[in-house]
Amino acid sequence: MEAVYELLKAVSKEHFMENMVSIPLIQPVIDNLLNIPLVGYVVALILWKPMFALLIFPGLLTLMTVLLFIIWFERKLTARIQWRRGPLEILRWAGGIIQALADGLRYFFQEVIVHRDAHKPYFIQLPILIFIPVLLPLLFIPAGSIVGIKTPYALPVVVAIVSLIPVFIVAIGWASNSRFAYVGTIREAFMYFAYEIPFILSVVAMILVYGTADMTAIVEKQTIPGIILNPVAALVFFISTIMATSRLPFEIPEADQEIAFGPFVEYSGIMFGLVMTIAYEKMYILALLMSVLFLGGGNGFPIPLLGDLAPVIWMFLKTMAVMVALAFLRSIYARFRLDQALRLSWTTMLKISAVAVLIGAALNIAQVA
Amino acid sequence: MSEREGEREMLLDVPVEPPVEMFLPIPRRFLEDAYRNDDYIVLVGPQHPGSGHMRIILRIKGDIIVEAIPDPGYVHRSMEKLAENRLYIQNIPLMERPAIMDTGNVTLGYVRAIEQALGIEVPERAKYIRTVLAELSRIGTHLYDAGILAVFLGHTTGFMWPFALREPVIEAMTRISGTRITSSFIIPGGIRRDVPWETLEFVRRVTYVLERRLKGFEKIFIKNPSVIARLKDVGVLSKQEAIKFGVVGPFLRASGVEYDVRRVEPYEAYDSLNWDVPVADEGDSYSRFLVRVEEIFQSLSIIRQAINELRSIPEGNVISPDVLDGYEEASSDIRGYFYRVFGNLVLPYGEYTSLTEASRGTLLYSIISDGESNVPYRVRVVTPGWYYLKGFMESLRGERLADLQAIYGSFGYFPPEADR
Repeated sequence: MEAVYELLKAVSKEHFMENMVSIPLIQPVIDNLLNIPLVGYVVALILWKPMFALLIFPGLLTLMTVLLFIIWFERKLTARIQWRRGPLEILRWAGGIIQALADGLRYFFQEVIVHRDAHKPYFIQLPILIFIPVLLPLLFIPAGSIVGIKTPYALPVVVAIVSLIPVFIVAIGWASNSRFAYVGTIREAFMYFAYEIPFILSVVAMILVYGTADMTAIVEKQTIPGIILNPVAALVFFISTIMATSRLPFEIPEADQEIAFGPFVEYSGIMFGLVMTIAYEKMYILALLMSVLFLGGGNGFPIPLLGDLAPVIWMFLKTMAVMVALAFLRSIYARFRLDQALRLSWTTMLKISAVAVLIGAALNIAQVA
Repeated sequence: MSEREGEREMLLDVPVEPPVEMFLPIPRRFLEDAYRNDDYIVLVGPQHPGSGHMRIILRIKGDIIVEAIPDPGYVHRSMEKLAENRLYIQNIPLMERPAIMDTGNVTLGYVRAIEQALGIEVPERAKYIRTVLAELSRIGTHLYDAGILAVFLGHTTGFMWPFALREPVIEAMTRISGTRITSSFIIPGGIRRDVPWETLEFVRRVTYVLERRLKGFEKIFIKNPSVIARLKDVGVLSKQEAIKFGVVGPFLRASGVEYDVRRVEPYEAYDSLNWDVPVADEGDSYSRFLVRVEEIFQSLSIIRQAINELRSIPEGNVISPDVLDGYEEASSDIRGYFYRVFGNLVLPYGEYTSLTEASRGTLLYSIISDGESNVPYRVRVVTPGWYYLKGFMESLRGERLADLQAIYGSFGYFPPEADR
């Protein structure tokens, strides 16, 4: 009986209202909505901070917007650099901004071909299952006081879950059972081992700098942004992000001209649409992580009218800046060879990341003293 | 439901099995040997995104290419046989087809073989305009190959810029000849019609535009560290190897051999102009690319000099009176007289050979005439692509599989040209 009472209390409107996103600008409207019986409950649920994190920022809504925007932006930017126009025809007055949506629709109506040699259950399941490690980290990333799950171990959890993504990609390549997918999978595995250690070391360096792994605390401690405290770690993190999201010049597992999209070569229709967005979603998460660790997350001068939304906007802008920087790389670099990328990460980057850890440790000791 | 019976979706269960017996142009022993040594055979092409219309049979140990065997011929169009059933003059557009970008040089070679047979001296003005056209084609082809090399390396900007830079070149060729690429502008005895002064001035301005734009291309692609990392010390052909395998053109010069047909046996106006033969010593993919980039600059200089020379040569008279044979009024414009002049062209008995420096290397034409018919008895064409295919395959040996595309692009191998 006690348990049922607790449960009812946990899903009650009052419980949601205790921990709600406050936006002074539209507070009268929200107050009015809250008084309407059913609508009020839904509004309270959406504005409940964990649910807000899940649905609005950094969750679903922002993710969709970012996906829509960054694919368009990347194509548009590349086109401008290359003396072209880029996406234009769909929603012409807005410069073709919903091109990605149109492509998605087209993917929906295309046939999904499952070839004879594929391991059918895995081939179909994995592109959907991969969204678990891709989307789960969003729950732990805070924007001001808005966070899905608040835990002192947020940073290790996010890094651990992000590290799971390549395992799924390798599984996808294995299930595809094709030559190009096989080569791409091997390359993905090699790259995974190569960037993972510098990546984790740079995160460890930042944990040492702040003396905590709680992301909310990390953001609060950054009166000086982390990129100034430990620029070496920021550099390593940025390069690891390029490798992890297989952007040029490290677009090695998916090299179009060599192995025709590597692990994803056999997918078609909406399945291809799903696997294609994985890299962008991973890029979004790592950009969020970078803005939390190095750019001060939701910090910025407060906007009183927006209340809790101000950190959200600051964080969104910082994340987009990182993503735009990543998108820019595509039009200036050629692809490195696998052995060159491996040499770079196993020698230079490993050394630099060790230096980053040393800097982090020195800062930690200085703080303690 | 019954009236829609015919529209119902039906499942056709047609048993389609992939062909079991596949033809591979390699000996059985090669396969068995690879199998025994734990190597594996990879077929790159002909539908591979980075192979073009050819197949390369690779024997691979780990990631290292042990042996590469080419399987060309997917775009063979039997130019030589087709040429035997056409008038001499109709063969000009035909011979243009293998390398449409290189129109100036490929037609020049064929036409020079005919001129050699007839013993015609080409008017001075036509010589210079032919040179301009040939060098424009060279620039266009080198830019095209640079674009293909860039896209093989995953550098999309390096792909788009040269293709955009080709547009002014093509525009210049359009203003000269009236068509974008396959102009067939060079005819025995000269060129089809005189080029007015304004057009030549436009071409001269185009060279300056190209030079300025190429500086930007140099920054983003040629000097890009990731490009250098991919091309440097990859697919090295030493001087001896390059000579042994019969590599030609800029790829031979990249290995340190200073051989250029334009210099060795000058034709048209090349001996009266001042230009250098770019040579590199490394013989790797990067120097093969750099030599061609340098050639673009040399070509720009040649075009400017040729146009400066053309200033002092009076307009009109671009077709030799030897071929006009009574139709002297056509000497500055062949329109309306073309078949009256050339329809019954018969070459004297014998074999006539011409060597031309096409964009990708030495181009050989050999025309055999029986002395009485108005079609050639035999036309032999050996394109540069066919010459350097062996060197291309040998340079793959010992490189990594991912380097295949880099080396391919560095040779600018163009299957339609090699297959003819």
